[in-house]
Amino acid sequence: MRLPSRRVPTVAGALVVAALALAPWGLSPFLVQFLINLFMLAALAESWNIIGGFTGYASFGNVAFFGIGAYTTAVLLTAAAWPFALALPAGGLLAMAFAGLIGMPILRLKGHYFAIATLGVAETMREIVYNLKITGGGTGLTMPITRSPLPFFYLMLAILVAATLVNWWLSASRFGYGLIAIREDEDAAMAMGINTALYKTAAFALSGAFAGLVGGVFAYWITFIDPEGVFRVIVTIQMIIMAVFGGMGTVVGPLLGALVLASVSELLSTQLVSLAELFNGLIVILVVLFMPKGLAEVISKREFSLKKLARNLREYGV
Amino acid sequence: MALIEARGVTKRFGGLAAVSEVSFDLQDGEILGLIGPNGSGKTTLVNVISGALPYSGGEVRFQGDSLRGLPPYAIGRLGVSRTFQIVKPFRNLTVVENVMVGALFGAHGGARALAVARHRAEEVLDFVSLTHRAGAAADGLNVPERKRMELARALAMRPTVLFLDEVMAGLNPSEIDAAVALIKQIRDRGTTLVVIEHVMKAIRDLSDRILVLFHGEKLTEGPPREVLNNPDVVSAYLGRRYAEQSGA
Amino acid sequence: MTSHHLLFLLMSLIWGVMNIVNIAHGALIMLGAYVTFWLFTLWGWDPFVSLPATIALLFVYGYCLQRFLLNLIVRAQLFLTLLITFGVEVVMVNLVRIFWSSDLRQVTPTYAGANFAVGAITIPYVRLWVFVTTAILSVLFLLVLEKTRLGRAIRATSEELRAARLTGIPVAHIYAVTFGLGAALAGAAGGLWGMLFPITPIMGGALTLKSFVMAVLGGLGTMMGAIVGGLVLGLAESFTATYLGPTYPNAISFGLLVLILILRPTGIVGRRA
Repeated sequence: MRLPSRRVPTVAGALVVAALALAPWGLSPFLVQFLINLFMLAALAESWNIIGGFTGYASFGNVAFFGIGAYTTAVLLTAAAWPFALALPAGGLLAMAFAGLIGMPILRLKGHYFAIATLGVAETMREIVYNLKITGGGTGLTMPITRSPLPFFYLMLAILVAATLVNWWLSASRFGYGLIAIREDEDAAMAMGINTALYKTAAFALSGAFAGLVGGVFAYWITFIDPEGVFRVIVTIQMIIMAVFGGMGTVVGPLLGALVLASVSELLSTQLVSLAELFNGLIVILVVLFMPKGLAEVISKREFSLKKLARNLREYGV
Repeated sequence: MALIEARGVTKRFGGLAAVSEVSFDLQDGEILGLIGPNGSGKTTLVNVISGALPYSGGEVRFQGDSLRGLPPYAIGRLGVSRTFQIVKPFRNLTVVENVMVGALFGAHGGARALAVARHRAEEVLDFVSLTHRAGAAADGLNVPERKRMELARALAMRPTVLFLDEVMAGLNPSEIDAAVALIKQIRDRGTTLVVIEHVMKAIRDLSDRILVLFHGEKLTEGPPREVLNNPDVVSAYLGRRYAEQSGA
Repeated sequence: MTSHHLLFLLMSLIWGVMNIVNIAHGALIMLGAYVTFWLFTLWGWDPFVSLPATIALLFVYGYCLQRFLLNLIVRAQLFLTLLITFGVEVVMVNLVRIFWSSDLRQVTPTYAGANFAVGAITIPYVRLWVFVTTAILSVLFLLVLEKTRLGRAIRATSEELRAARLTGIPVAHIYAVTFGLGAALAGAAGGLWGMLFPITPIMGGALTLKSFVMAVLGGLGTMMGAIVGGLVLGLAESFTATYLGPTYPNAISFGLLVLILILRPTGIVGRRA
């Protein structure tokens, strides 16, 4: 991880964002919807990257924060008649607060205990939402319909840009170095003066905040949410595999992963949700076996030969 | 007032006392050698003082303030640093980035700005003669280089007191000489040192005083010539029979 | 404690000797349920009679899964192992959805409705036999672990890989056998479950977590732990269902999972890490 020179990526990034901002005027409505979905997945991948990639705490339950954001925004929109401009930030804030609170005890866990705990949090959230009256229980909530997809396009894009910028900041800031140190060797990090508990929790909260914001936009965009449709395990898998595929812990990796995987998934899948999910599952297996360090690493080390891939397996196999 | 005052430091694991009622003073500017056979509790003592393990008893004061109960990062920020016996590099970072972490988070919170931290890190790397490896990946270093990087990381924290845990393990004689010279320079620059070592020649060269641990207890302390010729010390290392045979 | 709680126990017994967390566990249960269903529907095999076949099939499947896939990355970081089992789960569930549809299935042999009375309570025969079969299978598994050479090898490998290697245990094979056994148990549990509840492709998710809850409650890596965990969870769920309502047990059990991980991650019985 070399300290990047900031100028080229900044210009390139700005150009890309500008181009995307103009996209709705040139592209078909179908493509616009595809892009909204792509921005959503990329933003989720970038948000997961904060806790999974940089800090090294691979959470398997971030869909919980997505769901909290979605439901908070939805409830405020419908039951409390808040304007969306207030309901959305509230969703993000609540998700962030929840992540921070639950993070404090959970981040003390290591290895598979942490993984199960995060899975458990997501499942518990779904069950709780299912049982509460205010969330509409099993029947779900319906949002007022907006005619144009444009606001969602720009909102998702904005959240994606923000999440990417945060990742970028992390890659070259004191806080980011602290997180990376925690990932590499937590005991050494502690000995060197890093308040690991605080940093981990802050990273988790940040991760949750973005997931919550994405959830809030998602709820309004999709106009109908119910526990089964929101707290889906496949969402967590998607954000993880996109980050891993592109390269976890890098800034651009999650973006790459989202772009490639969402595009291929769109090309492959028909109406069948199961085909899309099947594809995701297969990708997960293949990526773990053959390119666990992600596309970024494969490209930078030019490890395209089968021999190199086989070496991977020998190194990790029993 | 001594820089560090340790009184009755005790650490028990279940029924076993790894460290038992150890007391000592560390004077400003000295090099204190800490020796004892394997398992005598040296690293455990450092772990307790640096906050990595909780106390079972006793008290340690640094510049008058109690260290007991503080988390490791707080102790590091106060100015007490340590290296690890089995080095813990940040593998996916380069050497200079590893050292930068120390500069960013060291004593009194370290440097806030990355550029300042990088500058400090480069200075430290120059001091330990690792500049030529600054951009290398941390997991590509050989043994002496890894030890020097571990040392550099701790130094970048600008500690007032530095505990060195067997930095010379695995070094050949000329590397050991270089290490001794380096450690003396560290002291000359104003850092007080506690050096845990098994290499007796180095300890004799370096230490102003030596503290000997045996089965977790302080056996004796004093100037090198006294301690290293002390029959109890010799028999602790080599066994009672050897001591009797050699007439020490 | 009802028969399906004992089933949960059967599902979690394997965690006693597996130190890795298998997220595809529920999918294996689901597969067992479907195998039993198809054997019954296509060829009329009585579900209790076909259980050995289900067990054998799932054992082979699990063995191959571990031997030819999971063994490849066993020594990589834990995260990757977790992730790959996640992937396996997704693949399995969706293959089932595509080929066998998401329609609810149920195994209903002719005696499904028959009851017998014990005092004032009527109990369906099926429940009784599920209970008995579960108990027998659990005891069999425990006996294999404790009394056979294979069982010793399994326990040794799970506790101390390096030492096991040194004593000449063929680790790759034992890992696969362990996983195969776990799959077999899961398959059996699934087959039995299918006689009590509807079978769907996605039934596994909640069951994976439930079996984790039990294992973690008791303590991962200990047999007694799985048993204790099973009992505690069973009681908790029964009480919740009775006093709070039927939709609450899941929330409670998952909440319990999070709670126990926070308060005492090594479980009620487990050794402190």
